[in-house]
Amino acid sequence: MIAPRHILGTFDEALASLRNNVLMMAGLAERSLDRAMKGLFERDDELCAYAIADDEEIDQLEMQIDKDGVAILLRFQPVASDLRRVVAAMKLSSNLERVADQATNIARRARKLNQHPPLTEVELIKPLHEQAMSMFKDSVDAFVREDVELGRAIVPRDEKLDDLNRVASRKLIERMAQDPDQLRGYLNLMFISRHLERVGDHATNIAEDAVYAAAAEDIRHQGAAATA
Amino acid sequence: MAESERNVMERVDRSSEPPSTGEPAPACTFQVQSLSIWYGEKRAIDNVSMDVASNAVTAIIGPSGCGKSTFIRALNRMHDLVPKTRVEGKVLLQGDDLYSGSIDPAIVRRRVGMVFQKSNPFPTMTIGENVVIGLRLNGIRDQKFLNERLEKSLQMAALWDEVKDDLHKPGTSLSGGQQQRLCIARALAVEPEVLLMDEPCSALDPIATAKIEELIYELKSKYTIVTVTHNMQQAGRISDYTAFFYLGKLIEFGPTTKIFTNPSDRQTEDYITGRFG
Repeated sequence: MIAPRHILGTFDEALASLRNNVLMMAGLAERSLDRAMKGLFERDDELCAYAIADDEEIDQLEMQIDKDGVAILLRFQPVASDLRRVVAAMKLSSNLERVADQATNIARRARKLNQHPPLTEVELIKPLHEQAMSMFKDSVDAFVREDVELGRAIVPRDEKLDDLNRVASRKLIERMAQDPDQLRGYLNLMFISRHLERVGDHATNIAEDAVYAAAAEDIRHQGAAATA
Repeated sequence: MAESERNVMERVDRSSEPPSTGEPAPACTFQVQSLSIWYGEKRAIDNVSMDVASNAVTAIIGPSGCGKSTFIRALNRMHDLVPKTRVEGKVLLQGDDLYSGSIDPAIVRRRVGMVFQKSNPFPTMTIGENVVIGLRLNGIRDQKFLNERLEKSLQMAALWDEVKDDLHKPGTSLSGGQQQRLCIARALAVEPEVLLMDEPCSALDPIATAKIEELIYELKSKYTIVTVTHNMQQAGRISDYTAFFYLGKLIEFGPTTKIFTNPSDRQTEDYITGRFG
């Protein structure tokens, strides 16, 4: 639901600017991850370099969002949904920055892999990439559209990603034993698998923050609470 | 080990204990039942029911003219003094119906003290006389008792250290913030059960406001406090419960944390976030 305008126009402007910076950061993080993965799959060092270069702008945006969020808290002392949106935006920026870090890590590993003959085992990474990317896009969508159901549905999807990471790691370890000459290459793929698994963790955090922003509901650690 | 560190260690030790199963319902000082108040033909309060928790601060918020002041004035029968005012419904104070014919309004006002927006010490009286006037009017003449109560009330109002050497000076010689605390001391001197405050800080600077807020926090261990405020941040800081009034109706009432993070009613949300109207 779109809230009616705030009596203080400057407050609306400050909230809109904060939100736009979060969206910009999400767009850049997605592009960076996409470039890193294409750099791996298409063996394109230039794309890897772009992905790594994106990180600086994303880091700047993270600092800007935190600065703007603190300024809004100080100047307007927001409450209710306004407060939740500001808190969620600041938490989102931290997770988006880490997604971009994972993209940078993947790009660096991809560049190393590209220096050697291609490994067919790169195919093991594709389902992880699809799962992590769709979780990430949906989590940002859940925040943008304040879609509680979409946000809630992302959390269990992380388990599938964890499983895919375990399967890929196991197969890569087997390959290392069978073909020790390619040890470095397999290790790099294992790290990339691990980085994508971390992207899923950040997407889960973003989804949880999206649900909090939209519905004031804390859905974190519910599995742990249920088993305690 | 510092005390704060010991507290942390105790919390760590306790963290393995199972969580308690639900909070018991808080005791309540007032039970307001279907309260309506008319000024002539105008209905200022429209069928309001709520329980006011004991030893807690309840903040009443809402736009001007929504009935906040009318509501808290009904809690000590101040409308008796306004012609053409009509009150319907019940206000129970510890189970006693304040509007039953058998209750003396003077006793109600002794049990339920009030502090107003603008400090109003009696201008012809000294600081000391201002504090004990309520006791004197109740026929107490024992000077030792009056002196003890004078000091105790000023201590509780966090004013004693500032005025103990100037008790003979006029009440109006104090600063605005000190005058407001003097009025709080005057209200406390008769040992009420409840303290009503109608925008007690709206005429004060931030430092004086902070002192009153700190005082409210300390007083709630002994008193039930109901305060009207236009300041959302103040309501968030000092109150345990918040009631939002609009057009004489109680729109939403609940724990302050809930009201200020996730109000249930759209009108509450629009008001507290400044999107009203």
